[in-house]
Amino acid sequence: MPLLEVENLKTTFRTEDGPVTAVNGLSFKLEAGETLGIVGESGSGKSVTALSIMRLLGRTATVTADRISFNGENLPAKSEAEMRRIRGYEIAMIFQDPMTSLNPVLTIGEQISEAVRLHLGLGKNEARDRAIEMLKKVRIPLPDKRLGDYPHQFSGGMRQRVMIAMALSCNPQLLIADEPTTALDVTIQAQVLELMADLQRETGAAIILITHDLGVVAEFCRNVMVMYGGNMVEYGTADQIFSQPRMPYTQGLLASLPRLDQTEHRRLEPIPGQPPNLLRLPPGCAFARRCTYRMPICDNPVPLYDFGAGHVARCYLYDERACDQRPPEAKDLPTVPAGGHTQ
Amino acid sequence: MNNGALVVATDLFKYFPIHAGLTSRHVADVRAVDGVSFAIQEGETLGLVGESGSGKTTIGRLLLRLLPVTKGEIQFEGQSILSMNRGEIRRLRRSMQIIFQDPYASLNPRMTIREIIAEPLRIHGLAEVRQVDERVQELLKLVGLQPYHANRYPHEFSGGQRQRVGVARALAVKPKFIVCDEPVSALDVSIQAQVINLLEELQEQFRLTYLFIAHDLSVVRHISTRVAVMYVGKLVEVADRDELYRNPLHPYTQALLSAIPIPDPAVEKRRKRIVLTGDIPSPVNPPSGCRFHTRCPVAFDRCIAEEPPLREYAPGHFAACHWVEEHGGKGPDLASIP
Repeated sequence: MPLLEVENLKTTFRTEDGPVTAVNGLSFKLEAGETLGIVGESGSGKSVTALSIMRLLGRTATVTADRISFNGENLPAKSEAEMRRIRGYEIAMIFQDPMTSLNPVLTIGEQISEAVRLHLGLGKNEARDRAIEMLKKVRIPLPDKRLGDYPHQFSGGMRQRVMIAMALSCNPQLLIADEPTTALDVTIQAQVLELMADLQRETGAAIILITHDLGVVAEFCRNVMVMYGGNMVEYGTADQIFSQPRMPYTQGLLASLPRLDQTEHRRLEPIPGQPPNLLRLPPGCAFARRCTYRMPICDNPVPLYDFGAGHVARCYLYDERACDQRPPEAKDLPTVPAGGHTQ
Repeated sequence: MNNGALVVATDLFKYFPIHAGLTSRHVADVRAVDGVSFAIQEGETLGLVGESGSGKTTIGRLLLRLLPVTKGEIQFEGQSILSMNRGEIRRLRRSMQIIFQDPYASLNPRMTIREIIAEPLRIHGLAEVRQVDERVQELLKLVGLQPYHANRYPHEFSGGQRQRVGVARALAVKPKFIVCDEPVSALDVSIQAQVINLLEELQEQFRLTYLFIAHDLSVVRHISTRVAVMYVGKLVEVADRDELYRNPLHPYTQALLSAIPIPDPAVEKRRKRIVLTGDIPSPVNPPSGCRFHTRCPVAFDRCIAEEPPLREYAPGHFAACHWVEEHGGKGPDLASIP
């Protein structure tokens, strides 16, 4: 049984201009102990996916799903009190900006203790010991002294480590990290990623890493989900996604990146146009408007196509029925059956 | 190094005073730029990289005299710009422009795109009233926007389009030198590549000279001719782009390069990452001697006591490191240090 199973997740926000579809029928699975990277650009729906699962969105949001099951339990059926118990205890989350997600008027010690007293039922002294232990784990020097410090007395990298200490203090089965290193300098990012990998080996927690940085994904994640216009457009192992991307959007992303190890100067190949307007998502492929391979069939809703070994992509280029519509440069692409493990 | 250089900065200092208490007593300084010298050749792109608090943005502002210099000398086309009066500065700004990181904050939300781009033309008297529209259209086309965009307001544009407007505004006065301060960091990757290509095309077309300030070393490698690395207010290494990435001498440069993940799992598996311990020191109270000694895996006594000068170890390749000096101009092999 997968740890997390999401089927046909749809999240819309009410706005003055009309409903904005942020997540549009997303389905995926996550196994226990897995590391899944969710990549996509602003507005692709990656953060909203996480917040929808955690039920952390405000009243302007409408979340529907055929199924969101965690450990076999149906999350949408849970009461608010039950969700509170799951959040922070079974599923923990860390955010991009540790300064705004820490309470500025409580000491670090109080904030870590709060979680373990609430969820693990520890007494005051035990909670303090646990907080020291966690700070030690995330390599904060002099943990028993730093316990009494406030968030502003820590640097950005240290704050993010405090967040990780807090998130992992109750041994969650799933950690959702939303752009955890985006606000950090690269040498500090390297520290935080190394720490997260070490702690994952130790605790066996599954991690969903939400990021726009394809380098971080290549370094850190076993599996990768690429999102565009509110849905998954490609899924596979990191090796599959980076060595043989199938969806033109994934290919375009990789071609548009300057690389540190490039020795020849090559022109970057940007993806033309702008990301889709979520107020008016097309019924067919959301990427079609920017796609160089666009075919007439692309205006219909696109299923996933199965490339084997867990690799799927949402693109008509691989559909047998579309062979005669393919542009010349795509003539030799293989055709594969629709379907796949996530659908 | 300074022959024919367009911009020369010599021994540049910028301290921001910190005041405290009822009497606003001067208690300390943020030593943002602490004795930095460099030159930018005509037509080249000098990449300036460093982490937060390294002083890279401050340097960009000093060169344009957007901030007063604490000490030092800046020359543009052989003329000292620090002794210039207001009128001369205004004329100078026709030759040097800046593109900012945040295209949301750097465009006035109450002005149309036409007004934004026409403003520098008007201030510098560069176009007759009748020709302003024509010139605005021309600039919009140049940066890949449409003529009808002129009547719109900044909020109607996406991040990438706004950055194009910022570029058009900078180009309006036909400058020779543009400070690009993190021009693509706020943009999504697919859009980032559009703006990088645009900057490259414009450079070729108008023989522009860039100071390209960024923390993303992959972008800097792509766009720069030479690269300068800063750490807490000091330059620690300067070299030609390929030389720097192939043969980084300073331990900080090595660690910085090794910290950037490469979007290719096959490459990532082979790489050995140098993970530095500790945090970036505060520029208010920088460490003695070499500022990197608190995090440097190969630091020794001399590094704590004595500040290393920026020395040339190979033609055009400068580094400020005692270890390199004592090892005949070779950098340490940090990846092999446990």
